[in-house]
Amino acid sequence: MTSPPSITGAVSRRRGGRLWYDSLSALGFLAPGLIGLLLFLVLPLIASLVLSFTNWKIMGKTSFIGLGNFSQALTVDPVFWQVLFNTILFTIEYLVLNIIISVGLALALASLRWGKQFFRLVFFLPTFAPLVGSSVVWLLIFTPGGFLDWVMAALHIPLPNLITDPSWAMQCVVIVSLWAGFGYNLLLFGAALESIPQQYLDAASIDGATGWQRFWRIKLPLISPSLFFGIVLTAITSLQVFDQVYALTRGGPGAATQTLGYKIYRDGFISYNFGYASSIAWILFVVIMVLTAVQLGLQRKWVHYDA
Amino acid sequence: MHISKMGVGAAVRVSVVAASLLAGASWIGQAVADPVTLTWGMWVGSDAEKAAWQHVADMVTAKYPDIKIELQTASWPDYWTKLPTLVASNQLPDIVSLQSLRTPGFASVMTPLDDMAKRDNFDVGAFDKSIIGGLSSDGHLLALPYDFGPLLVYYNADMFKKDNVPVPKEGWTEDDFKKAAKTLTHDQQYGFGIGGVDQVISWISSAGATYLKDGNLDITNDKFAAAFQDYVDLVGKDKVAPLQAASGGAQLGDMARGSFAAGNIAMVIDGPWQLINLKSSVKFTIGLAPVPAGAAGSITVTAGSGFGISQTSQHKEEAWKALQILTGPDAEQYLASQGRAFAARIADQQYWYKAAAVGVDNAEAGMNAALKGTVPYITTPNWNTVNNLFEQYEPLALSGKQTGAEVLATINKLSAQ
Repeated sequence: MTSPPSITGAVSRRRGGRLWYDSLSALGFLAPGLIGLLLFLVLPLIASLVLSFTNWKIMGKTSFIGLGNFSQALTVDPVFWQVLFNTILFTIEYLVLNIIISVGLALALASLRWGKQFFRLVFFLPTFAPLVGSSVVWLLIFTPGGFLDWVMAALHIPLPNLITDPSWAMQCVVIVSLWAGFGYNLLLFGAALESIPQQYLDAASIDGATGWQRFWRIKLPLISPSLFFGIVLTAITSLQVFDQVYALTRGGPGAATQTLGYKIYRDGFISYNFGYASSIAWILFVVIMVLTAVQLGLQRKWVHYDA
Repeated sequence: MHISKMGVGAAVRVSVVAASLLAGASWIGQAVADPVTLTWGMWVGSDAEKAAWQHVADMVTAKYPDIKIELQTASWPDYWTKLPTLVASNQLPDIVSLQSLRTPGFASVMTPLDDMAKRDNFDVGAFDKSIIGGLSSDGHLLALPYDFGPLLVYYNADMFKKDNVPVPKEGWTEDDFKKAAKTLTHDQQYGFGIGGVDQVISWISSAGATYLKDGNLDITNDKFAAAFQDYVDLVGKDKVAPLQAASGGAQLGDMARGSFAAGNIAMVIDGPWQLINLKSSVKFTIGLAPVPAGAAGSITVTAGSGFGISQTSQHKEEAWKALQILTGPDAEQYLASQGRAFAARIADQQYWYKAAAVGVDNAEAGMNAALKGTVPYITTPNWNTVNNLFEQYEPLALSGKQTGAEVLATINKLSAQ
């Protein structure tokens, strides 16, 4: 049944008119951010992609070499696979330790009667410090003959100096990253724990659930959305690690702590091999994408988006 | 034939610049008092250095009132990171400061100075020959030198006196050096400070080894490997030099020099350009000596720096005029007496001894001895990479985790990329 055309026509014209006006003004408000995004994110991304197919070294002749850079990275470069391995090793170790420490501390803080805010602030303080500054201070602790060596000697721990030993240098980077990074996740998971309705936990303890069961069966599933968010973000940023490596070890000794992020900087700004560095950057992009896709896949099974 | 998109863009830019140069050339002939501001890129490590360069820049304006110089400075490592980005964004300063070791890498963006020198009858022979060679590429002079210097040994004269060790002098051998270092290593102090590739090249040259073959890096030959192992053993086996974690922006040589200035190390190898910074920050008497003699004698490498004109400069004639003042006798005399430069002009080297080296033990004797055994420091175009590879991999040999030969093989492989 058709309604009188004049009324609906006028209404829809008015509604359409307002919709059109609305979307125009929305575009106007978005424009500054959109222009910024285009200029400083999308355009450089495209430029970087184009660069990765060239052999641009700033000076000298530049030409398109197709997939030459990628094949060089994967087959010719003597350190690429070690660097990739270092990056993945760092990410896994840092991610696992970070989540365990921040969830554990969040649980501990949640059960505190007083001082919750104080401890939250104290644990969050390392996040404020610029990562480069913290790394330099930690360097003084790790340096041969420094504080850590003194402590290990006093406690008779038979470890070599960590930062100059190729097998242990990566642990220094992990320690510094953990110190600087766990506060952020602590806050995130602390907030998530607070939002769990106390009735669930009370009901469970009345039914005879132990603390461990309460954590594993109730708390963990209920904070899983925040947990998922924290894990994805931490994984992405730890795959890109650069600051700590630059300030602590410069990728050394040898290539023991060289990560993909540092390799990009090294090949670009020290060897002036910008085309090759861009290709490494895109390989890193693919690695991060694959990891995030895997996590998104796991999310369906492990993350509970209930009330 | 290879047509590249980058080439087209560059060709467009070059033609625009050329057109504007041609247009401007007609003006240059007429206008004699059109003020020109030249940009000058230079590295500085302290306010004292910056003041010294500003003083020299003012000398140019004093002679040519219509030329003003704007100094653009950066710290030493940042300068070499910044320079390629300036090349890429077409923002090279008119006057570019270059170090001899890095000249081959930047040769393509510098204007050859030979024609201007010949046209104006400029006497290039007044400069030391080795540094002229160091600042040339492919037979063309790319920069006029303001300083050069051999690497030599800085020693802490007070430490030597306290431990009753005879001070190093001309003719001292590596055995003398090791003996002195061992005696000076006790409690928290060490006899020597290990450095990076520059000091390594000096050490192996004294041992009679070579590092280049047909212009390419050749560091895996037996003689080099043996001499390198000898050098790194100073840390690992002889334990006369401390193992330091080099990172956070400081290179191995910088860390050694810092420990020397703090009074924790008795000897370091460095160039005369460090004297101005060291003298102002130490509380002891510094002494100079040539590097210890190895199997081939006391051989050391010389490096130096100078100023050139970028290809993209719009004011090449003014820049050439400025260059002649910046490296002229008055500027050299000023810089030498400040201790900032061991003058590249042979006639002005005496001012360094008269002023900068005052209070320094054996300055003239040490320098003269060092200058007797110098070889020009020839480098490959990828020397920045080689330098950094040594910084990255040498600590593995220093801590004894790998042998010198293994480290050299890795560096060789990675530098070939």
